[in-house]
Amino acid sequence: MTAMPAFLGKAASFVLPLMIWVAIWAALPHLDLIDPSFLPSPAMVAIALQKLAMQFSFYQDLGVTVYRSLAGLLLGTIIGVPLGAWMAVSPRAEGFFGPIVKSTYSLPKTALVPLLMLWFGIGSTTSILAITLSTALPMIIYTFHAVQDTPRILLWSARGMGTGRKDLMWLVQLPASMHGILTGARIALGFSFVIAVAAEMIAAKIGIGKLIFMYGENGSYDYMFAAVVAIVAVACLADALLVALTDHLLRWQGRSNMLG
Amino acid sequence: MSHVKKLTDSLIALYPIVLVAIVWEGVTRAGLVPPTFLPPLSDVLASLWQQIVSGEIFEPLAVSLYRAAVGLLIAMAEGIVIGFLMSQIRWFRWLMNPVVLLGFPAPKVAFLPIFILWFGIDHLSKIALVTFTSIFPFIIVAQAGAETVSRVQLWAARAMGETRLGILWRIILPAAFPSLMSGVRVAVPYALISAFTAEMIAGGGGLGGNLVYAQRFFETTTVFTILIVMLVAGWLADHGIIVLRRRLLRWHN
Repeated sequence: MTAMPAFLGKAASFVLPLMIWVAIWAALPHLDLIDPSFLPSPAMVAIALQKLAMQFSFYQDLGVTVYRSLAGLLLGTIIGVPLGAWMAVSPRAEGFFGPIVKSTYSLPKTALVPLLMLWFGIGSTTSILAITLSTALPMIIYTFHAVQDTPRILLWSARGMGTGRKDLMWLVQLPASMHGILTGARIALGFSFVIAVAAEMIAAKIGIGKLIFMYGENGSYDYMFAAVVAIVAVACLADALLVALTDHLLRWQGRSNMLG
Repeated sequence: MSHVKKLTDSLIALYPIVLVAIVWEGVTRAGLVPPTFLPPLSDVLASLWQQIVSGEIFEPLAVSLYRAAVGLLIAMAEGIVIGFLMSQIRWFRWLMNPVVLLGFPAPKVAFLPIFILWFGIDHLSKIALVTFTSIFPFIIVAQAGAETVSRVQLWAARAMGETRLGILWRIILPAAFPSLMSGVRVAVPYALISAFTAEMIAGGGGLGGNLVYAQRFFETTTVFTILIVMLVAGWLADHGIIVLRRRLLRWHN
């Protein structure tokens, strides 16, 4: 009964402040504080966004960026989760991969883009590989710690009931690690969009990052702002979907308590 | 004696890195990959050494670190103020909440062309991007840290005639200090990455600018040299913070 008004209240406390910000944005050029040519009004940006929404090529650019981000994230997860879990249960695997992970972790992720461009040229392969490598690292680390922190009592009781090593991983350690793994996935998702957009801004033929940069160079600032709004909306939507997925997967554990 | 053993143990633990280095050197020396694709590790290290001795590497490094540090300091000052105000003033929290919620997961690098439009192609737009990416961790830890202060403490302070500013400065700031330090640890890599990335996109020198420049001219050895310098810079920054935190928070634990 009370679920609906609570949801509406939450939506209102999100939308209303944003409307105030948009109103401030709309008022700024009228106050003679900022040159209007440097800050297109919200109305101009909305019109540009509407025009973009009717162009097929805009969806191509947006789609390519999303495809690169998610494909890289998927590959990074496929590599990172098993590797992290393996490192958590095998000291030998930890001894080998641990130093490599630790020593490469502080490398600024986007710096891989120019190197991969040397190897694979400009395009999706470079972006996806850069995202794969950079998302695999947080996935490894979060999975490693989550599996390692599985409560001992769970392990002891499972072992006491005769669970083998393989079942222990699938039935006990991985389910118990879901929260940690999904937290890692949320961090990795953030990386993946940043790297995709950055790579497209460094050099690309297609993609939303390229589009934003091109509008900036042409001086079509209303379109530039519109494209920024679009990619921010898409990235935030992806993040919100991941949080919803986390809550759904972890409903047996109680609330995930993530931001928002 | 135990020190020696500890040292040898930690050196032995580094065997995977040595192994990777040997394979890298072996494959390239055997001519299995062209040097424009992957130069021998020894060439990369020689180039790194030469650039250190000649001092060539320090100018772009200093430019990048300057941009990262200035952007980070602005983000720290603004983020802490915004976070504290959000913890104390209800309407301000209401106004800022959606901005933080949208800003945290947004790919902030997309705003770089806007910053270039506003602040020009030189230092300022890059500093703005650094500030924009590293401000959100500060806002969140400052707000969370300030909320750890118990109401009783605040009431007591108010009863003793402490002003609002005094409460912020003398009670909330010290109480939030441990949280702020973890914010610094999250924000520093963001700041470095943003500075390098902005340079890669917009040029204007620095390690990121030089990296893309070397890539365009297929100077693969230089690309690897710069990557190593970036890696070491990131590692040193992180370890510097850990040491600093241990020093500053001795009273905490």
